[in-house]
Parts: sequence; C-alpha cells; structure tokens
Amino acid sequence: MITLLKNGKVIDPAQNKNGVVEDIYIRDGRIIAKPNAAEKINQTIDLAGKIVMAGAIDMHSHIGGGKVNIARMMLPEFQEAKKLSEPEAHICTPSCSHHATPSATDTGFRYIEMGYTAAFEPAMMPINARQTHLEMADTPMIDKGGYAMLGNDDYFLRMLTAKKDQKAINDYVAWILNATQAIGIKVVNPGGISAFKFNQRKLDLDENNAHYQVTPREILKSLSRAVHELGIAKPLHVHCNNLGAAGNFETTLNTMSASDGVPMHLTHIQFHSYGTEGDKKFSSAAAQISEALNKNKHITADVGQILFGQTVTASGDSMVQHLNSKHANPKKSVIMDIECDAGCGVVPFKYRDQNYVNALQWAIGLEIFLSVDDPWRIFLTTDHPNGAPFTCYPHLIRLLMDKSFRNNAFSKLSLDAQAMSNLANIDREYSLYEIATMTRAGAAKLIGLNDRGHLAVGAAADITIYADQADREAMFGKPAYVFKDGELVVKDGKVVKVTWGKTHTAKPAFDISVEKDLKEYFDKYHTIQLDNFKISNDEIAQDGRGAVVTHQHKQ
Amino acid sequence: MNQRPSPAQLSLATCPACGLVCDDVQPKNLNCSKGVAFFQQASGDAQAKIKGKNVSLVEAVEAATKILKQSKQPLFSGLSTDIEGFRAIYHLAEKTNASLSHTNSTSIARNMRVLQSAGWQTTTLTEVKNRADLIVCIGTDIVTHNPRFFERFVWVKEAMFTDVNTREVVYLGGETLKKDEKTPARKAALVLPCRPEHLPEVLAVLHALVLGKSLKISEVAGIAIKDLEALAAKLKAAKYAVLAWVAKDLDFPHAELTILQITQTIAALNQATRAAGLPLGGSDGDTGVNYAHTWLSGLTLNAETPKQCDAQVWVNSFNAEKLPQKSSLPLIVLGNTNTHFEHEPDVFIPVATPGLDCSGTLFRVDGSVTLPLKKIRETQLPTLNEIVRQIEAKLS
Repeated sequence: MITLLKNGKVIDPAQNKNGVVEDIYIRDGRIIAKPNAAEKINQTIDLAGKIVMAGAIDMHSHIGGGKVNIARMMLPEFQEAKKLSEPEAHICTPSCSHHATPSATDTGFRYIEMGYTAAFEPAMMPINARQTHLEMADTPMIDKGGYAMLGNDDYFLRMLTAKKDQKAINDYVAWILNATQAIGIKVVNPGGISAFKFNQRKLDLDENNAHYQVTPREILKSLSRAVHELGIAKPLHVHCNNLGAAGNFETTLNTMSASDGVPMHLTHIQFHSYGTEGDKKFSSAAAQISEALNKNKHITADVGQILFGQTVTASGDSMVQHLNSKHANPKKSVIMDIECDAGCGVVPFKYRDQNYVNALQWAIGLEIFLSVDDPWRIFLTTDHPNGAPFTCYPHLIRLLMDKSFRNNAFSKLSLDAQAMSNLANIDREYSLYEIATMTRAGAAKLIGLNDRGHLAVGAAADITIYADQADREAMFGKPAYVFKDGELVVKDGKVVKVTWGKTHTAKPAFDISVEKDLKEYFDKYHTIQLDNFKISNDEIAQDGRGAVVTHQHKQ
Repeated sequence: MNQRPSPAQLSLATCPACGLVCDDVQPKNLNCSKGVAFFQQASGDAQAKIKGKNVSLVEAVEAATKILKQSKQPLFSGLSTDIEGFRAIYHLAEKTNASLSHTNSTSIARNMRVLQSAGWQTTTLTEVKNRADLIVCIGTDIVTHNPRFFERFVWVKEAMFTDVNTREVVYLGGETLKKDEKTPARKAALVLPCRPEHLPEVLAVLHALVLGKSLKISEVAGIAIKDLEALAAKLKAAKYAVLAWVAKDLDFPHAELTILQITQTIAALNQATRAAGLPLGGSDGDTGVNYAHTWLSGLTLNAETPKQCDAQVWVNSFNAEKLPQKSSLPLIVLGNTNTHFEHEPDVFIPVATPGLDCSGTLFRVDGSVTLPLKKIRETQLPTLNEIVRQIEAKLS
C-alpha cells in the first residue's frame, strides 16, 4: 500500500528544505522514493497550500512515572475542573481532561492532536523505571522514551568517593541505561537530593555533599564524560543546582564549564536564569545566559517556558521543592526520599501575570528563546507540567512567531516586571523553518532518533500537515492531518485511529562483571533483588501494543 | 539482559501476600505466616461453574457476558489483582459503565484524603533500612500486617548511614501491640499504650509538643505527658525519624485527621531536622490498583461503594479466604480457584493467581517500587486478562 502526499510545502531543516513543493510517498510506515510508474498508488491526498513537517518531538515532558502520578493523586480538583466540551475536535474518553495532570490516555491523545508524535520523560528514577514504562505503555498514539536519573544515587556517589576509575563509572552508567530501558541520562540538582537526606538545605556547584565529600561539579564531570565516552547521542541532561533561586544564573554559567567541553544539555534553563538586581532582588539574567549559550557550542538547552494559570510542579529536586512548598497553591505538597536512589517533590502552583516574579519568569523564558541564535541548540518546552501543560505549545509558538501578539501580552504584565524586562525591544520573530528545527530536526538529532524528525527517504513516516494560517496558535493547535508510522491517525485535529507507539532506548555495551559488585551492594543495602531491577523487553511490548527500539550509538 | 527468566531459571519467588512484596522468597523455606499461606495454596482446577454446576469455559463466559449486557450499572468489586489484571478490568468497566471498588477501598481512602487535603512527606523501605535511627510505630505493631518488616528493614546486619545497634523503635498506641518479637534481643522498645480511638488526642499532644508548646496537663489517654515530651525530644534529636502507620488499623471515624496529625508533626520536624512518614500495610494489590486507576483515569479509587448497582463482578486473584459480600444481585466471580462459597455465584470462572500460576506486576506499599511476579508452577488456569478479553469479544 502506497500513500502519496501531493503538492505540500515541505519544511524539513534536516534536509535544508524550506517550503519547497514536493511529493512524499509512504509505504510500510516509511517514506520511500518515487515508485516506478507500474506500482499502484493506493491513496493520494492533495496538500496544495499546506505546510508539511515531520511529526514534532517533545524532548522534555513529564509524561509518566512516580511524581506525575502523585500529582494526579494529590489534585483530583484538576480533573473535576475539566470541560468535556472542549476542544471540540478530539476523542474524549470518559475520563478526559485538558489540564496539568492528564491521564496516560489523554496525554497521548492531546499530543497527537497537536502533531506531536513523540515525547520523552526526562526524569525516570531507575528504581521507579518499571512504573514509568507501565504508564508510558498506557499512553497511546505517540512514541516515548526516558532519561534515567543518576548522580544522587548512593551507588554512584560511593563510587565517586572511592575514586573509582572512569571505566567503572562508564560500565555502571551503561548498565543503568540497559537495565532501565532508557535513552539518556539525567542528573537533577547534582548531589543535592542526596544532601537533603543528610539535612543539607542548599548545595552550590563547588560545595561538598557533606556525607560523600564530593561536589556537584565532580558529579557533572564524571557523568558527562561517561555519557560521552559510551557514545550515546543524548548528552547528559542537566537540571542545575539552585533551581528557582534569585542569583542562580552564576551557578548556571559555571555549570557550562563543568564538563570541560564535553557536550551537556541544560534543561528548563529559564528556571536557572535569575539575577538579584532591582528593589525586589529578582531580575532577568537572560542576556548573560543567552550570550553564554551562543558562545559555548558544546551546550544545548531547553527553555521551560512558564505560562500563566494553574499547574503543578513535579520534580526530582526534593531539596528545592521542600523549600518551594511554602508557595504551594493550592496549599499542599508531596516530598519524598526514595530508595537511596533519588527523591521527588510535587508542589501545585499558579503562575499569575500580576505577580512580579511570575511575570518576569514569563519574560525571561521568551528573552532566552529570542536571544539564542542557533535553533539547533535551543528547544521548545514548558517542562510540562512545571511551567505550563504541554497543551499550551501552540500558544507559545505564536508568542515566538508574532511580535505584536507578544508585545500585547507583555503590556498586560505587572508593571514592575515590565520595567525590568527588555522583551519589548526584541524584534525577532521565529520562522516556520526555525520552529521546525527546534521541535523536529534538532530534537531528533539531540536524542539520536536517526529516522525521525525529518522527511528524507527511509525516515519513519511521522508526518504533520498544517493549513498555513496567519494565526500560528490556531495553525499549530489543530493540524489538518497527522501520520504516525505511515498511518493516518489525525484528521482536522481529531483522532481517527488509535495506535500505541514505540519505546526508544540506547543500550551501549558494558563489562558484565559490573554486576558482581552491584549484586553485593543490592544484597547488603537494597531491598529488592538485582535481577528484579532490570526491565525485560516483554514487559514493555506486552499485549503486542508496545515495542522496544534500540538506537545505534553515535559514531 | 532484557529477557525475562524462564521458570526453570528461577531461584527466588516474589510474594504478593502483603504490601512488602518480598522478592527474596524461597517458597518452601519461608519464615512468614502470610507468605506460607500464599505459597501453600493448592493448585486447583480450571473448572468453570454456573450456579455451582460444572460448565465449559465458553458457556461460563457467555453467561457472564449476558449478565453484563443486561446490567445498566454493574459493580466490579474485590479487585484483588495485579497491574495487568487491573488494566483489563478497568477497560471492561469503561465498556460496561461499571463502578470500581477495591476490597481495601476504605483504608486506601484514609491515606488519600490526607494526600489530597495537605500532601505529606514520606520515605521508602530502602531509605528506612539505611537511614532511620528512630522508628515510631503509630497505632500498629506493623508485623500483623507486614510480618517481615523488622527482619528485612530494621534489624539488619548493616546500614549505610546509621548504626543499626543504636536504632530505636517506639510503639505508640494500638489494638494488638504484640510487637516485633526480635526487638528485645537488641534493645527494649519503648511502648506507650493507648486504645486506637484515643490516638487523635495523643497525636495532637505530640504534635503540639514537637511545635514547642507547653501543656498544662499531666496525662492524655493514660499516657504521661512527660513520656510524650521525651518522645518529642527523641524525634527532634533524631537524624532521620520515621513515623509509620497502617491505615487499616486506624479504624475509627475521621481517622484521616489522625493521619494528618502525624504528617503535620513530620512537616514540623523537617523545618530543622529530617523525618519522614511511612504508610504501611497493603494487600490484594491495593497500592498498584490505586496507582493504575490514577494513571488510567486521572483519579484515585473511590472511597465508597456505590449504592446503586444491578449486578456484581467479584475479582479475587490472590486469597481464597476472601468472599464477596452477600447480596441478591446477579454475581459473577473471576476468582481464586480454591474459593469455597457460602452461596454459589451465578457464574464462577477460576483465574490464575499472579506470582504462582502466571507472571505479573505488583506495587510495593511504599509506592515507588514495582516488582515482577513470577510464574512458579504449571496450571491450566486462564489469566484474568484472557477471560476479560473473551468477555469483551462477546460484548461487542
């Protein structure tokens, strides 16, 4: 069966195509070259005037696992506030929601309706990986994957204290990737989650974890090098120390040099770009951060834009979330220490445009987006649900593409915040090509999804087609067609077929003798068997719904 | 590395009999009353029945489907199953407009009300094992529910961050304070006894003392204030105090307010030192069923059994002793093969028990750890999943 997508304007930054009118042929889930005249075309869709892009990829979104589900549990009022009537164009399940804590089912539907064909859970605690995969397996329509969290686990910190060599570290990191079925490694508040368990309340980049006598800088250096030497595509995913603290931009700038030039990705960088200027001792350091990002080519970042409204912050950073719990709205929070592995903090939050700090956070995120030159190294995220639910992406895209829309929104902010932001003086408007780079080609390249994020022959046929509308929010909110692995799954923003997607992993080789010491450690200090820590392929692929895809290493 | 071990490769089984989900189990050499009872279950047959009479599986599935088709609002209760089983049941419930009620719904809801009104600060079993220097068991001896708690997590050989020999255990109130029998060998545990229904005032006093308030009374519910002052001082001095409770044992009206006193005491302690809560207990897959219900629907399980229903489906995979509530409604049982009914259900379809007859997945009571259950014997029993699929095929 061959499907022909005819006359569409193709925007595919991976192939330097910017609006060329081209035909695309699909067979068996893949994009193929133009077949010979004898072959039958089974289905032809005329896309004259329409924009064709690869399916979008969310490289950082909390879609499954412990803290996300705790957020759902803690906040039944989010579900009760749901409006079954909107948006009008999608399949509502009996328990549909459009809020910060969608069920697994709704997560898949809401993503695909926006033309997103993959999302990556960025904070999969190794001990909690099985739950994360269970939830992702129940998330329909999209591909998924997870970044395993290391750097606060006692096994790794003991290795650092014992000054184990880099090879031993690499073997452990590779073992974790394999055992937890992850595609990348993340570190959250390096050393800080562990330090909080020893009653430290703050940890700077060069400050020792009191128990282990190691610094966040040493953790970053060791892990970034391990990830790099193992040859997986995804650079170490870093949630810096001092999240949310006024003046934290210096920690962020210093973190950029912690890996000695080895690639690192700094996530939700908006939350790490705060200065201490002005009467309220809270200011934008977007200019310094953007300048450093432009200069340091080994660093990539996603923004973690905040948007106004009710949401919930769900983070592995128990140290900072414990501090933030006094700002909880509604007034409740969950803080956990977990399994000598990591921790979590779930704090509901309402961002308000008349609140000085919140308004400035909004402006700082946009300032960074608009001041970083290279769209291949900056990514569009709201750190769902921490800055805003992912369903706000079309709105965010319009803010980036439409200066008058942005400035109009800016003019409604707290006046004190307006006075402290440079945003209205930035003229840049993102092009469709740049949006496609950030949300498709760049994201696929960053994670190492070689056959996604582009439309070249041989690519997986994850394709999103939009009507070219001046209102970019409307355009990106409701694609005309979405194809997932070659199947038409969304028409006019409405799901027409339910599919289940795949789980993407990276499994670099390692020395199996690493399990000898791990087994001793598990038997002595842990509370489960080492063998039960590992997740089998058929746990993910059960019922014939899911599938594990393992990506080759970057060479 | 990412292959499931075959039954022949297995040396250790995983036990679903309580919330600890011990995965270090040799079924024939097990020092745990609950575990022994679970692994000694007879390997029953797969004979389906209609009103006590033997029928083929096809006939039983047809009869069950007919009841569900005629029902406007069935109730799926018991829900004693693992994640795979619950997923299947959840989707069948969506298709048949059914309500869901777990056998432990009431005690689950006691904790959920606290989570949903104020949140909490908690820990998990490996942290307890390696970090806790003071464990306060509130309203429970723990071992009645989780027999191996002290053996596996408290009186261990070695811990990473604390000296296990100086670890302290305190029992504060409860009905059956039989205590951990191994405790005296280490150190006499402090026991502050009171009836469970007096825990609300005792815990309010402890909370006040931790907050530094002085009280003009000398005792509360038979416990001397000076003893509670000493406990408050211990909590403040501890590096990592753990306050454990079992929601099932707090069986009095508005017990959630008592749990709230515990969690607020923990919140107060964490302003200066470290402390954490530990909800324990658990059975019949309750933690996992509540979690999976939450990610599938967005909401936790309902506390109350709905009043209006016109048919009942009783799901019971793990424990043959548990029986459905008596009622005049049509009753379908998808259950443990060894169940002996007082009143024969309209339809009985025996299903495999995860962890014995088939593999599966179960959540531990601390919520962060999920473990694979292993198939350890061959039977003819179909899985709950397979039966639900057959019913669904006939429904449409």
